[in-house]
Amino acid sequence: MGAADRIAQIGNQISGGVPKGKAAILEKRPDDIVVTAALRTAFTKGGKGAFKDTLASDLLAGALKGILERSKINPELVEDIVVGNVLAPGAMATEARAASLVAGFPISTAVHTLNRQCSSGLQACVDVANQIKAGMIEIGIGAGVESMTNNYGPGAVGEFSELLESHTEAANCKVPMGVLSEQMAKDRGITRAAQDAFAAASFQKAVKAQAAGLFKEEIHPIKVKYTDPKSGETKEVVVDKDDGIRDGVTVDSLGKIRPAFAKDGSIHAGNASQVSDGAAAVLLMKRSTAERLGQPILGKFVQASIVGVPPLLMGVGPWKAIPKVFELTGLTKEDVDIYEINEAFASQCLWCANELGLPKERINPKGGAIAFGHPLGCTGARQVSTLLYELRRTGGKIGLTSMCIGTGMGMAAIWVAE
Amino acid sequence: MASMLELRTPGYNPYAVKYSPYYDSRLAVAAAANYGIIGNGRLFVVGLGPAGIQIERAFDTNDALYDLAWSEINENQVVVATGDGSLKLFDISAGDFPVMNFTEHKREAFSVCWNPVAKDSFLSSSWDGTVKIWSPSRPASLRTLPVGNCVYSAAFSPQNPAIVSCVSSDSHIRIFDLRTPVSAKYHLTTVIAAHAPPQPPPLPPQPQGQIPVMPPAAVLSTGQTYAGAVPAELLTHDWNKYRETVLAAAGVDRLIRCFDIRNPNGGPIAVLPGHDYAVRRLAWSPHASDVLASASYDMTVRVWSDGSMLAQPPPPPDAPQVIPVGTQLGVMNRHAEFATGVDWCLFGTGGWLASAGWDQRVLVWDAHTLLRG
Repeated sequence: MGAADRIAQIGNQISGGVPKGKAAILEKRPDDIVVTAALRTAFTKGGKGAFKDTLASDLLAGALKGILERSKINPELVEDIVVGNVLAPGAMATEARAASLVAGFPISTAVHTLNRQCSSGLQACVDVANQIKAGMIEIGIGAGVESMTNNYGPGAVGEFSELLESHTEAANCKVPMGVLSEQMAKDRGITRAAQDAFAAASFQKAVKAQAAGLFKEEIHPIKVKYTDPKSGETKEVVVDKDDGIRDGVTVDSLGKIRPAFAKDGSIHAGNASQVSDGAAAVLLMKRSTAERLGQPILGKFVQASIVGVPPLLMGVGPWKAIPKVFELTGLTKEDVDIYEINEAFASQCLWCANELGLPKERINPKGGAIAFGHPLGCTGARQVSTLLYELRRTGGKIGLTSMCIGTGMGMAAIWVAE
Repeated sequence: MASMLELRTPGYNPYAVKYSPYYDSRLAVAAAANYGIIGNGRLFVVGLGPAGIQIERAFDTNDALYDLAWSEINENQVVVATGDGSLKLFDISAGDFPVMNFTEHKREAFSVCWNPVAKDSFLSSSWDGTVKIWSPSRPASLRTLPVGNCVYSAAFSPQNPAIVSCVSSDSHIRIFDLRTPVSAKYHLTTVIAAHAPPQPPPLPPQPQGQIPVMPPAAVLSTGQTYAGAVPAELLTHDWNKYRETVLAAAGVDRLIRCFDIRNPNGGPIAVLPGHDYAVRRLAWSPHASDVLASASYDMTVRVWSDGSMLAQPPPPPDAPQVIPVGTQLGVMNRHAEFATGVDWCLFGTGGWLASAGWDQRVLVWDAHTLLRG
């Protein structure tokens, strides 16, 4: 059997490090951090979708309620809820706590929010996992939420002081995503045709997945009030379907869209992530706890990595974060069955995948943010349910989630489906 | 250390050495080429005679050998654990090929142990996350006990033929009782988290508004607080030959811990600190209830007393639980590479040990020389 595995094993025994490599990672240990429920709301278009009249707090309450319904866990046992959010003032710390109470959690369940830009949802899950590992809590929820309808706009970045403006790299942190991605696409030679092909594939994969009902397991339907813009009539609707997924999108149809950030540019509304509203949540605990409580195990969290990259090249984040998480876990790119890499822009996602030599057919098999949206703070938590249900359906084992992060960072995490 | 015998195993790095339970002059050594990473294995049968220590037989295998066990019903037979997951029963009185071949494990087999009481069965453990129980005369296993992660060491209780123990990479000791009915737990009766500190008993209900007083954390007999450790791979364990509920386990975190399986949450009943690298093999003395030998990647073999022969004063009420720190009786530092195997001779005055290491040497020596020095 594998000499490399044997060498890794002896190496771990001497260094006393966490066992590395595929074999070690697939083992089941009582102190594994496992996921016993993971879900998201549907994603709807910012400003016009079914969640346009719903505040982020209510989306979060819906997702948290969904976790309680699905897992049937006693809410008293959940000790902390961490919520990723990017755009709301103060990352909606107050509203998140209130939402947890509405969802049915007792006052003894703590809540905090965090903002690591587009990886906030993943960071929330990682923070919960680390709190459990450190023995600070036993059971927690990592979540993410964003209402881009309500909070997206020019006010999202504050004024930069003279001090910040006086430093080149610091001032670069403020350059809008679209502008810098346009420049990056040009510098790295990612053609419009290649971006459009990637984007069209994302739509086509998502259409197919939606038609086959592959999002059913991850989406928790929630009931909200919706005002019809034509009739002005307000009614209650149950939202259980992503509304950004469009059929019939092809390279040709995308080719007709005008570039958004530069006249001769390559990035446009059709090959960048959609502006959306949505929430997602992941219930985490130790395997020993899950077994004691009879919680069904969907998969486990293995390891995460965080890296910094130049602010103007924020799109390359996954290219640096993915090798780092491989180094931390001893895995190789062949070991990963599914990659969920956020499609902030077709250009950056495609560039990272090509540069790392990742197999195309394993990346975002159900489509990505280009097809169904990227509610910033939610995406990282959304990827967990998208990934684990697809791994389970296809018999895959090891999955990776990753995203680029505004201001120049990247994050990646390894998950195992069971 | 004058009275030391030395045998070379050229081209092969030993992983285990075991004394024959029948003769004080016979040993077997399981070894692997290239440190067990890739290549063949070889089983050496070694004799001690007037001419010194000599190889009497050698059996070759296609993959590394990681462990061996002497048959308890046939003085000529030895079973080995190989890197391809198979177990092979060799007969010294027969030809070069195994008389039985057991091929069920899907990955490297790491340990074998013959049932010392019932004598009609043996067990094996593997990287495939299972322990299997076998009859030497049947090619298919009698039972499979799932563990779920790499099982480095498994053993039968020396007192009770139905009790099986194992340690694995998840830092837990598991005890199976084969007399329990088959259920979802596959005979698993006890799980001990080796790294965990003693768990205090549940607190009595407190009157409203009163904050319960937590009992103080356990301390070692040296005065240090014993707060447990992070989980670390357990590589070896052995049952005490006199106290039937006591076993010792050790591995990557270098600390040898003794447990009483009747109190799985009570933490260790003794700890033996001293090794500088992972502990690869433990062997309790067949002659004294408190004496233990250990072989480590730090190239030493150490002999210890767990301190259980010393009278412990009863602790005053409300005092923290005190975990005795055992005594290191001696260090044998003549190996020049990882020490991987150690075993006690069952016969004689009770101090003879055989040790083996990756330096391609087997050393036979008298522990008394350490104790005096």
